[in-house]
Amino acid sequence: MKAKLRLSPKTLFCAMCLSCLVAAVPSLSTFAIAQDTFNIGALNPITGAGSFYGSGMQQTILFAADQVNAAGGAGGRTLKVFAEDTQTQPEAAVLAAKKLIEVNKVQAILGTWSSSVTLAVMPLTEAANIILMHNSGAPEITTENKKGLVWRFAPSQNLYGRVFAEVCRKNGFKRPATMALNNASALGQIQVFSKTWKAMGGNIVESVVYEPKMPTYRSELEKVLAAKPDVIILGSYLPDTTILLREWYQTGINTKWIIPQWAATPKLIEALGENVTEGIITIFRQENTSPAFVTYSDLYKKATGKSGSDNLYAAMCYDMVNVLALAMEAAGPGASVLQINSKIRTVADGPGTEVYSFAEGKKALKKGPINYNGAGSWIDLDKFGDDAGSIFTWSVIQKGRYEKKGNIILK
Amino acid sequence: MNGFPFFINLLINGIVEGLIIALAALSLTLVFAVARFANAATGDYMTLGAYAALGMQMLTGASIVVNIIVAGIVTSILSIIFFRWVFQRLAGQSSVTALVASIGIAFFIRSVLTFFVGHDQYAFKIPVTRAINLYGVLIYQADIYLTAVTLLALGGVFSVLYLTPIGRRMRAVADNFELARISGIRSSEALIIMWAIVGAVSGIGGVILGIKSVIMPEMGWDLLLPAFAAMILGGVGNPVGAVFGGLCIGIAQELSSLVVGYSYKIAVAFLALLLILLWRPHGLLGYKEAIR
Repeated sequence: MKAKLRLSPKTLFCAMCLSCLVAAVPSLSTFAIAQDTFNIGALNPITGAGSFYGSGMQQTILFAADQVNAAGGAGGRTLKVFAEDTQTQPEAAVLAAKKLIEVNKVQAILGTWSSSVTLAVMPLTEAANIILMHNSGAPEITTENKKGLVWRFAPSQNLYGRVFAEVCRKNGFKRPATMALNNASALGQIQVFSKTWKAMGGNIVESVVYEPKMPTYRSELEKVLAAKPDVIILGSYLPDTTILLREWYQTGINTKWIIPQWAATPKLIEALGENVTEGIITIFRQENTSPAFVTYSDLYKKATGKSGSDNLYAAMCYDMVNVLALAMEAAGPGASVLQINSKIRTVADGPGTEVYSFAEGKKALKKGPINYNGAGSWIDLDKFGDDAGSIFTWSVIQKGRYEKKGNIILK
Repeated sequence: MNGFPFFINLLINGIVEGLIIALAALSLTLVFAVARFANAATGDYMTLGAYAALGMQMLTGASIVVNIIVAGIVTSILSIIFFRWVFQRLAGQSSVTALVASIGIAFFIRSVLTFFVGHDQYAFKIPVTRAINLYGVLIYQADIYLTAVTLLALGGVFSVLYLTPIGRRMRAVADNFELARISGIRSSEALIIMWAIVGAVSGIGGVILGIKSVIMPEMGWDLLLPAFAAMILGGVGNPVGAVFGGLCIGIAQELSSLVVGYSYKIAVAFLALLLILLWRPHGLLGYKEAIR
């Protein structure tokens, strides 16, 4: 056995040459493909806490990419989408992102939802120097965005926190209490709310941070209710909100709730019934009244059979694909990921001709600079890569339906 | 805070939470006493029970009592199947082998479940009613029923263990496997009954957990750690100890929130476990060969 393993220098050299050649072949072939396709990963919460939005988001990325390809592609390349599920869990999301980056060689990942997922995927995309466009809220994502490759299309909790304070004021509440799930997104939302509310001269009667995955939150609730709040501001996800509201209703103590709509989804109403959810105030982002939203909405209806306004995260995904494709077009054929990245703000947030679709933008780019006005928002990317261009809306759940009450525009 | 009623409320919450942990811990400790390994699939037996009851409710609209019974039966059958299929074949191997196999079964059950039902949350269709308010002490009607069911289940298990011939044989096997065999006790029969009981207890515990919270594929697995702690706290292999340990952990968690807040109450429960084990290494009610 040992004799067989002894290699002469000549054989060794030949073997090295051969292995180099073998290693080079696949990378050569991917290089050849990369000339005319641009691989993107659609990494969405198909299952788990975000499942209400996830599959619509993914289908939107697919039809938006088809639309770009039908318009002749972007920067001489066609988009190829690889779809994966995050399960709304960081562990599963990291595995999926690794597969997208290493096996599918994607150059951008689009549509991660929930901050813990985005924060977990970020180190991978940063290390691979690829673009990440996400729908998460935690303020930390901004500070961790070291290379400027991360773009936030959903409003940051910095904005949501302020909107919660504004809605609280508009409804004339005087004694708010807060409850936050112990994660980056919910804590961020509640911290910003508290800061804003206190700056308005208000007072917070009680605040509790609670742990995920507990079978009951009675003690946490009773502590908050003991302070006799007239409203409870909740930073949460769907499962814990379901348990909390059920237990609150059982106490029979009267108070109002302001809950983000990603936690107070129709699934909550389905689980608890109309009595428990009656009068809950929910806060969400308003769709953008632009032709882009109309186009998105039609396509969304065709793809999923549901109304486009039901899933604004999908509208944001539509904008992600268009902004990315327009940046590719602006950067020109064969541009590197970094060159494309540097064009994102130019096409989405610059002075220039107002455009509402990729095809329009592609044409207008030949004449001069453009400004893409999207389906989810008019897109106002600040220097940190966060979209600040949103109208928010607040609704009240009445008889199991969301009744829109008003809009909030932050100045 | 409202002083005394608030304290009593915390205590009640602790007891209710403790009873759920107790069912899981009882299931764990029975396996440990008779088959001598830590059954990591207990949590997923519970999850399966919850989904079985949910499926029954969705298909037939049967009352929750029927659903609980069906869940107990389904999980029992599954528990016996896994015993015959896996654990019986591993008899005589080290307990680590059985432990690893049970982790495998846990993942298997969860994967099959999520393949069919997905990761979405479900809830039992049970009308939500207002609690009874006694001078600030809140008594939830749902909790009364849940406590009753839990106590019934515990009572049933203890009756089988201590009042029936098969229970005596099980305890004999737990006490000394070889001696029981020499005395003519058919250990395989005792083991099948034990696994059936373990399945039923887990299944019922799962439904109760599902009624209290929401039904998700990880619900049982997430309860496994406190259940292990309760089993160890009460003395490994001791059924009374498991229930006692569950209650201790539940109450310690809730009452400690007065001092350390809600984020650290889980840590405090485990600190209590650590201190008690330093004081009594075999657990509170533990002694060698516990079931006797």
